[in-house]
Amino acid sequence: MNQQQFTRRAMLKMTASVAALAAAGGIPGVSAAEGDALKLWANPGVHQVGSRDWSAMGAQGGITIAGTAKSARADESIQKMVVGDGNRLFDAMTDNGGGMEDALASQNAIAEIDPSKIPNWKNILPVYNEGGLAAHSIRYEGKVFATPMIANADSMAYDYKALGFHPDSWGVLFDKEFKGRVAMQNDFGPTMTNTAIYLKESGMATIKDASNMAPDEVKDVAEFLIGHKKNGQFRTFWDGFQNGVGLLASGEVLMSSTWEAIAIVAQRNIGDKGDIRYGTMKEGHQVWNNIVMLTRGGKERGQEAAYNALANVYLSPWFGARTLGGLGFAPQMTGVDAYVKANPADFSDADQERIIQILNSKNDRYAISGNAWQNVFPKNLRAYTDWWARVQAA
Amino acid sequence: MSALLAIRDSLMGERGLQRWAFYIPVVFMALFFAAPVALTLVWSVFERTMFWMEPGFTLAAYENFFTSARAENYVYSMIHSAVAVVVSFVIGFPIAVFVRRRVVKAAQHRVILLFILPFMISELVRVFAMRPVLGRNGLLNTGLMELGIISEPITIILFSPIGVVIGDVISFLPFMVFAGFLAMEAVQTYIFEVCDDIGVGRARTFRDIIVPLAAPGIFAGGVFIFVNSLGVALVPTILGGPGAVNAGLIVNQAIVALDFPLAMAISAIMLLTLVVLLYVGHRLFDLTKILQPIS
Repeated sequence: MNQQQFTRRAMLKMTASVAALAAAGGIPGVSAAEGDALKLWANPGVHQVGSRDWSAMGAQGGITIAGTAKSARADESIQKMVVGDGNRLFDAMTDNGGGMEDALASQNAIAEIDPSKIPNWKNILPVYNEGGLAAHSIRYEGKVFATPMIANADSMAYDYKALGFHPDSWGVLFDKEFKGRVAMQNDFGPTMTNTAIYLKESGMATIKDASNMAPDEVKDVAEFLIGHKKNGQFRTFWDGFQNGVGLLASGEVLMSSTWEAIAIVAQRNIGDKGDIRYGTMKEGHQVWNNIVMLTRGGKERGQEAAYNALANVYLSPWFGARTLGGLGFAPQMTGVDAYVKANPADFSDADQERIIQILNSKNDRYAISGNAWQNVFPKNLRAYTDWWARVQAA
Repeated sequence: MSALLAIRDSLMGERGLQRWAFYIPVVFMALFFAAPVALTLVWSVFERTMFWMEPGFTLAAYENFFTSARAENYVYSMIHSAVAVVVSFVIGFPIAVFVRRRVVKAAQHRVILLFILPFMISELVRVFAMRPVLGRNGLLNTGLMELGIISEPITIILFSPIGVVIGDVISFLPFMVFAGFLAMEAVQTYIFEVCDDIGVGRARTFRDIIVPLAAPGIFAGGVFIFVNSLGVALVPTILGGPGAVNAGLIVNQAIVALDFPLAMAISAIMLLTLVVLLYVGHRLFDLTKILQPIS
């Protein structure tokens, strides 16, 4: 079952649930009929479930959502919100985590939120309350500025049918046996971070923080990649969702550091011709989340209640189960497994089994101690980009 | 009052409107060409800030470009673009000559217009469609292997510099065909007849007569292809090897890193490259001939 397949029955149930939500009070101050639509800047392919537009999610929250598609590019978001007209155009926005909220909050582009007004905040994963990097990803100077909605620990996809074994180390990407049959992402962030994790955890380089490397550490990682590139280890570096899918589904590469959603779609495309799996790497993974934020403009226009309603949907098992079953994103709330089992009309036995399996494998990845948090703006960003240019030139 | 009416008439009257219409291209060029170019140059020497830039004067962005691997990537990009121009000429110009020489005059423009058809398809789709053709298990490799011509897939034609050149040629070949077709206006029919009469072979006629006469047009077509190959980021992204870039992608990556002065500096260098190219082309081929009527 994918996200689109929920549409009809979900809509019928939601229509009833909206009435119930409104009757029960739901989010204070929210009325879809009365209030203006919440102008949301988000990536519908990733941040929207339940229907082909925002109606299902709007119905869940008792609000009307006017969505505008956005890319995942951090620079685009920052330009639009800090020096552009983002605050005039949008009441709420989603984005990549790992630094974005700090940048936007420091520039007064987003507003502080009040979790006590979001009932499902009680479901939020404990890591967001524990003071670690995940907790930091929704806060700026100790104040909460965002609601987490999806996350993952990015790993490696591989064709088990072609390989005949389950890789459990990033080392296979650099193994001569697979020369010319591997790919990595064409983005210095995840590629250098995952390589740094591998080098650090396997004792091949001294790296203090794989998420935020010093210039010398960046150099070590880049030179390692350059050496393997010159030896013809990489078939290519993929860029974009369909590009990543095509590489795996066509058999062009046997393994690729990639997003889980790409592995899922590649397997759907390839059918019986292959068996594309998503592994757990013993050294660790780059972990990340996507968050939803209330813009300063949204708050000034009185859209805080509508934002809270949307955040409440994002923290509901209804959303978590669907984003997990659809493209394999980690839900950010507890109780998804119980929700899936309690709703057999929405989730067949096979779907339940598959969703629980994805969730378990995700939990395995999250349990690895070497995981490093995605950092969109590391302290030595110039060193990253300069050395990445050398990797490209090699 | 009458003075005001006179001013209004001079501005808005029939002659006034005509005068304004004359200036529209000037205003257009000033707004959409001169101003962006000037801003590019000015911003390239601004100070970089965390999210944007602030007025100042520094050559740091240029220094970064020339002291990092970006300059190396830029040179590689120029080399790949130059190869794409040469290959496009080798394939595209003979097509233009053939249409001029062998297709009946009434049908020539229709045949040439057929080359517009690929432009009706998204370039992304056109370039992406090359992957199932050129890939390890693609149509080309599968066909050659089934014919027994090769025993192993040819992998150098995709995710490699060759893949990028193939993509550039497929994307931009029509520019050479159009420019070559127009350039052939300069080669009068009697020239071919004279060559035939005095027994000059086809290869020599092509090399010593047609190409020199059509050189300004060929050069113009080559510039279109070169500039597009240098700047369109799609081709190296989809068909290039690990980390393949062109100048457009280098600019894009600078913007992603919120390094706007660097992006502007690279754009300024691209602009300078084009100006130098046009100057050299003009010195060699006298580009004003493109605009001269054929007698």
